[in-house]
Amino acid sequence: MSIFDDRAAEVLQSLPYLLQGLGVTISVTLLALLLGGLIGLMGALARVYGAAPLRAAAAAYSRTIRSLPLLVILFFLYFLGSDIYEMSVFTSMVLALGIHTSAYQEGIFRAGIQSIERGQSEAAAAIGMTPFQNFFTIVLPQALRRCIPYWGNEAAIVLKDSSLAYVLGLTELMRRGQYVISRTHQAFLTYLIIGLIYLILTLVLTRGLSYMEKRVKIPG
Amino acid sequence: MTKSIVSIRNLHKSYGKVPVLNDFSLDVYPNEVVVVIGPSGTGKSTLLRCINYLTPFDSGEIHLDGQKIDPRKTNLNHVRQQIGMVFQDFNLFNHMSAFHNVAVGLVKVKRVNRGEARSRALDELERVGMLQYKDQYPAELSGGQKQRVAIARALAMNPKIMLFDEPTSALDPELIEEVLAVMKSLAAAGMTMVVVSHEMSFAREAADRIVFMDQGAIAEMGSPSELFANPHKERTRQFLSKLGYRENERKDESDG
Repeated sequence: MSIFDDRAAEVLQSLPYLLQGLGVTISVTLLALLLGGLIGLMGALARVYGAAPLRAAAAAYSRTIRSLPLLVILFFLYFLGSDIYEMSVFTSMVLALGIHTSAYQEGIFRAGIQSIERGQSEAAAAIGMTPFQNFFTIVLPQALRRCIPYWGNEAAIVLKDSSLAYVLGLTELMRRGQYVISRTHQAFLTYLIIGLIYLILTLVLTRGLSYMEKRVKIPG
Repeated sequence: MTKSIVSIRNLHKSYGKVPVLNDFSLDVYPNEVVVVIGPSGTGKSTLLRCINYLTPFDSGEIHLDGQKIDPRKTNLNHVRQQIGMVFQDFNLFNHMSAFHNVAVGLVKVKRVNRGEARSRALDELERVGMLQYKDQYPAELSGGQKQRVAIARALAMNPKIMLFDEPTSALDPELIEEVLAVMKSLAAAGMTMVVVSHEMSFAREAADRIVFMDQGAIAEMGSPSELFANPHKERTRQFLSKLGYRENERKDESDG
């Protein structure tokens, strides 16, 4: 059996069907990134500014999550969720991916915050800024700028990890690919196309972020 | 007797077991310029940082404009607005233009409206001769220019007193004079200042009092003419002779 036979055309005809999975892939990715960003930022704040017990708790959270495979978190949440109430597959995936990436985003944000010289915070305090004003006016805007390249890497990983949702039957890109394969038996071509779609998505994402990085670059 | 702007009473501060300030007391009066000199590690910077509570101290009192500062009752952010501080390393906000560095305190802390903040920030930049650089970012400025923006940032809060923590120590020799000139003009305009610096030209020209600090306390104090011409203590004499030597050395460098 050759790699491409007369059913190859059928795969190409399935492209619109495949692309319908894009919406799910993109929304899972964006929601997980947002959730992970919020948890990650709070974790970073806790680890940089928090009292000792809070610091320890945030560090323990980060270490635990980092040592669990995404798949384990995903199954755990899915079965827990479906035991307690009817949590949708989509929600399970967003939560699992969000929690998973939060541990890595925490590290990115923490490094960014700690890279801002203490002197600037002292100067902010010296003109009477509250710690809150200092953080949001002085530290965070600079920290976020420095985080962009590292956050971009993490975002690309999350985008690709969203394909794991196929194991729960979520009809995102990967799952739709499987349906196309079972109909056409053209695994190679289908995965090639799916791979190209992920490649394009990742390029758009990383290019967009590096454009943003240039836009917000501090002159000088 | 005139009321002091800042009164430092019996300050004690140690880092671990190492005492840094040892029963330090000093009153600074309106319009006065006090220059603090002394060997390194003698607590000069710590002293300034205690005055605006950037560094907590073990015991003692700070009074600002006759009011005792009690960190449990007084809002320290409010206290710090009234005490301007200039750092050795400038500590400008790197993501903000010179203009925004000066305006941000007015907008965020003083909550003045944008129009007024704008005109006041521009006034302060003009006062330090930096108006034409208002749109430059810190990375685009020389050390001397950065420090002048930092002075404008502190002045914008309209402080009762300005503290200078070795404001020219991080500068190339040829940039020192532009910062000192700004400080001298502030002194001449009647600003109350406490300056930790070893710039003897500034001390001679602008200081009302020189405080020689040694081992966390005042070893000797007097007007510049008294202290420089006729130091009473051997320790002061030794220190001044070392400074004189270094000052000559710098002149030689700039000549060559």
